[in-house]
Amino acid sequence: MFRFQSLNEDCMLEEEDDGLIEDEDEIDQFNDDTFGAGAIDDDWQEEHKRLAELDERDELGAGLGFGGGGMGGDSDLSTSERPSSTRIPSSVVHPPPPSSLASLSFSSSSSRLPPSDVEDRVGEGDLAESLARLILDADPAIAGVGAAERPGLPPGSSGSGLSALRGLDQPRVLPQPSPILPPTQPHQHPQHQLPPGLPASGLPPSSMLSYQQQQHLLRRGTAPMGQMSSHSIWENSMGFGPVSVTPGLLTHMEDNPLMSIIKEVGHPKRAPQGRNDEDLSERAPPPRSSSPVIGSPPVRAVPIGTPPKQPMSHALNHQNSPLCRGPFPPRVGPVLSQIQRAQLLNSQVAGFPRGGPPPLLPGGGGFRPFFGGPPPPHGHRMGPPPPHGPPNHAPPLRHNTTHLHPQHRRMLTQRMQSRGGDRRPGMDRRSRDPYSNLMTQKEKEWVTKIQMMQLQSTDPYLDDYYYQNYYEKMEKRQEKEQDSSKKEHTTKLITPQVAKVEHTYRPVQFAGSLGKLTVSSVNNPRKMIDAVVTTRSDDEEKREKQVWNKRRQILYTVEKMYSLLLEVQDFEKCFVQAPEEDREALLEQHKSNTEQLCSSLREKEWDDRVSDEQCVMIMSVRKGKRLISRLLPFLPSMQAAAVVMAIARNLPALAKKDKQDQVLCWLVEPVSAVIQSLSSASLTDLLQELQGSEGQLATVLHNKFGVTLLYVILSEGERMQSSDPNCQLMDDNRWTELVFSVTRELLSVPSSSLSPPLFTPPNLLSLFSRYVDRQRLELLQDKLQISALSR
Amino acid sequence: HQQLFEKHLVLLRDGRTLIGYLRSIDQFANLVFHQTVERIHVGKKFGDIPRGIFIVRGENVVLLGEIDMDKPCDTVLQQVSIEEILEEQRLQQQAKQETEKVKMQVLKDRGLSIPKADNLDEY
Repeated sequence: MFRFQSLNEDCMLEEEDDGLIEDEDEIDQFNDDTFGAGAIDDDWQEEHKRLAELDERDELGAGLGFGGGGMGGDSDLSTSERPSSTRIPSSVVHPPPPSSLASLSFSSSSSRLPPSDVEDRVGEGDLAESLARLILDADPAIAGVGAAERPGLPPGSSGSGLSALRGLDQPRVLPQPSPILPPTQPHQHPQHQLPPGLPASGLPPSSMLSYQQQQHLLRRGTAPMGQMSSHSIWENSMGFGPVSVTPGLLTHMEDNPLMSIIKEVGHPKRAPQGRNDEDLSERAPPPRSSSPVIGSPPVRAVPIGTPPKQPMSHALNHQNSPLCRGPFPPRVGPVLSQIQRAQLLNSQVAGFPRGGPPPLLPGGGGFRPFFGGPPPPHGHRMGPPPPHGPPNHAPPLRHNTTHLHPQHRRMLTQRMQSRGGDRRPGMDRRSRDPYSNLMTQKEKEWVTKIQMMQLQSTDPYLDDYYYQNYYEKMEKRQEKEQDSSKKEHTTKLITPQVAKVEHTYRPVQFAGSLGKLTVSSVNNPRKMIDAVVTTRSDDEEKREKQVWNKRRQILYTVEKMYSLLLEVQDFEKCFVQAPEEDREALLEQHKSNTEQLCSSLREKEWDDRVSDEQCVMIMSVRKGKRLISRLLPFLPSMQAAAVVMAIARNLPALAKKDKQDQVLCWLVEPVSAVIQSLSSASLTDLLQELQGSEGQLATVLHNKFGVTLLYVILSEGERMQSSDPNCQLMDDNRWTELVFSVTRELLSVPSSSLSPPLFTPPNLLSLFSRYVDRQRLELLQDKLQISALSR
Repeated sequence: HQQLFEKHLVLLRDGRTLIGYLRSIDQFANLVFHQTVERIHVGKKFGDIPRGIFIVRGENVVLLGEIDMDKPCDTVLQQVSIEEILEEQRLQQQAKQETEKVKMQVLKDRGLSIPKADNLDEY
């Protein structure tokens, strides 16, 4: 597979520069990650230095298992890094038998280099020695960047390729700590194979490797001979990435083509080895690609304009300290700012090393930093901390269910507990299920974390209205049922508040430079088009559109009023939850909202009266009717009365407009409420309005709402009369007359055009009995189906 | 852990009911079902058709729930063979189509036409 043939002629060392320049493109193809998409722009030398220092510190043997091996004298193993084989992860370290030269690794190669063959060819001990020396030198020399440029390979290196490789495995090309693994046992590298094209003689591929590759290595090469990463990397690695060779190796063995092969081809596939003995059900899929250790090198350059990450968002991937940190003590006083709290939550939401129930069935209890300690400054009411975890046999709470309402969590806990006793019979079943752990706990937590993130909101009442309201109602119900001694059950739900971090875009600026960079990214796209709104000034069109505009105007008004109304309605809720300092402002806002609402009903700003026209206009739209019905309770009584008057006055028109929607009856309840607060004079007025002009009453009676309204009015009058003998209703004759006319109408109107009301007030009968004689009363009774007994 | 041991029941948007071991789930509610059985209900009878492994795209999931194996099963439903339930289903579909046809005809006679919601989901 490899271009060994073509490389044949390029075997000789030529002038460095030429080779480099012309073959750069070829080389590029080998390694996308280095030159292509995953390439990083930063200074590899610095990186190298840094990592090398890390290496020394960590003392992870750069996998120079030469310490083992048939490398003969290891006298040159320098101190800190020559690990004994023990230091190196076990799966990788085995002192290679002298015959193993298994370290040739080619990612796609097929056949295996017979170790013995190679050994026969190259087995010079001194060669090995020198090689070892070189490599070992290379390690400390990693720090010295200049190593890369040092020419001059010690002699005998040409044949040393293979043996050198004995000790090496391909470290990655990445500027990260890349491991150089010791020579591994043959069986660990089933894929250490030379390409079929390679003569079985095992002639050092050095002769075959192109010079370019060597140069390529030279030029690029100073990947650190990094530390061996933890075992887990290789376990999980599903492949190999581009590989680099230590600078030491490079420099000292620049014509060691094998290294370059290895470098090109990639790292041996260690993963399957370690896993063969493991249980199938314990295999873990490769971790998410955002882990910097595996796969492509980390993309350091964050595009300009990217909003800042949450600090702990990658905690899930780093399976170290954030996760291993213990859970917060349940009584940590939440004296945190909102932002800290949000961050805290995020970090806790990241994989938490707790066993327990699946994320979908969280338990209760557990730690709850929010619920402990003194109330936070912003005045959320906190209940006392919930009971510390469920009984032992129930699983501990998943941290990521903090966002659940305590009631909700309690229900889930109860459910869990009730099933806890049943667990034993199921246990056996589970342990025998080979597919059971396909999804690791980490993954489950990850999914839950995502789902929980969706619950975070800055305004829970907006984002999750129904959930909040439902649990509020339940709370209220419970409060009624239980006595006040059981206060603990009424813990309030506190959803996590995502910190409202302002992500304003500030264009990147460099000090002392002129102008700004114009870099656009996903998060701050550049403005491409200037869209300007131009209104068309065509006269004809205008006239045509006027009709449309009117309706649109109405709709617009309705919408605006609705938003005001909703704010007014929610005022109480907000008020209760707001901190002290905000309350004043809220109150002010509330007042102005109500003001605005009232004024919107007026036609002209200076006219205090409710405008009929406006009301009718609003009510011509279905939503408007709904709006009015919700608005009435909030209006001051004067205005409310005026609105009701307007309704009565214009009922026929309204009825007509309502023909399609049939929703006038929404108004019954609020209107009744208003009516019941009317004075007798107003009531009489109202009745008069309802009757209005000639024939209006008939229309009224024809309409369900009208009939109901009429009945309500009459009933109210009756109530007034019967309850208060001195009521002014009878002071003038208006009321009596009006009632007379009503009864007349009722009797004369054919039954078919009399619409049945929504409900019939029980005291109508007594009302009518005052005014009409027996005969008529009976007629009325029949007609209106008013039973003698009050309902 | 328990989540992936018990059998789960999922109702899909096209009305199908699947029961099986839920092996994997992701944030879109994509599901991996193992040893899946499709349960068809017609009237009081039901039938199970074994389906093997199912991968369900999340958008088609209506609801998903865990089956409590330990709960006593006091259902009135009667399990029948696959052939029978399929036959029943076919009959049911047929009857539905018949009534639909008649309805459309009647409406047509009266000059009304209720547009069929072809572009909506079936349920």
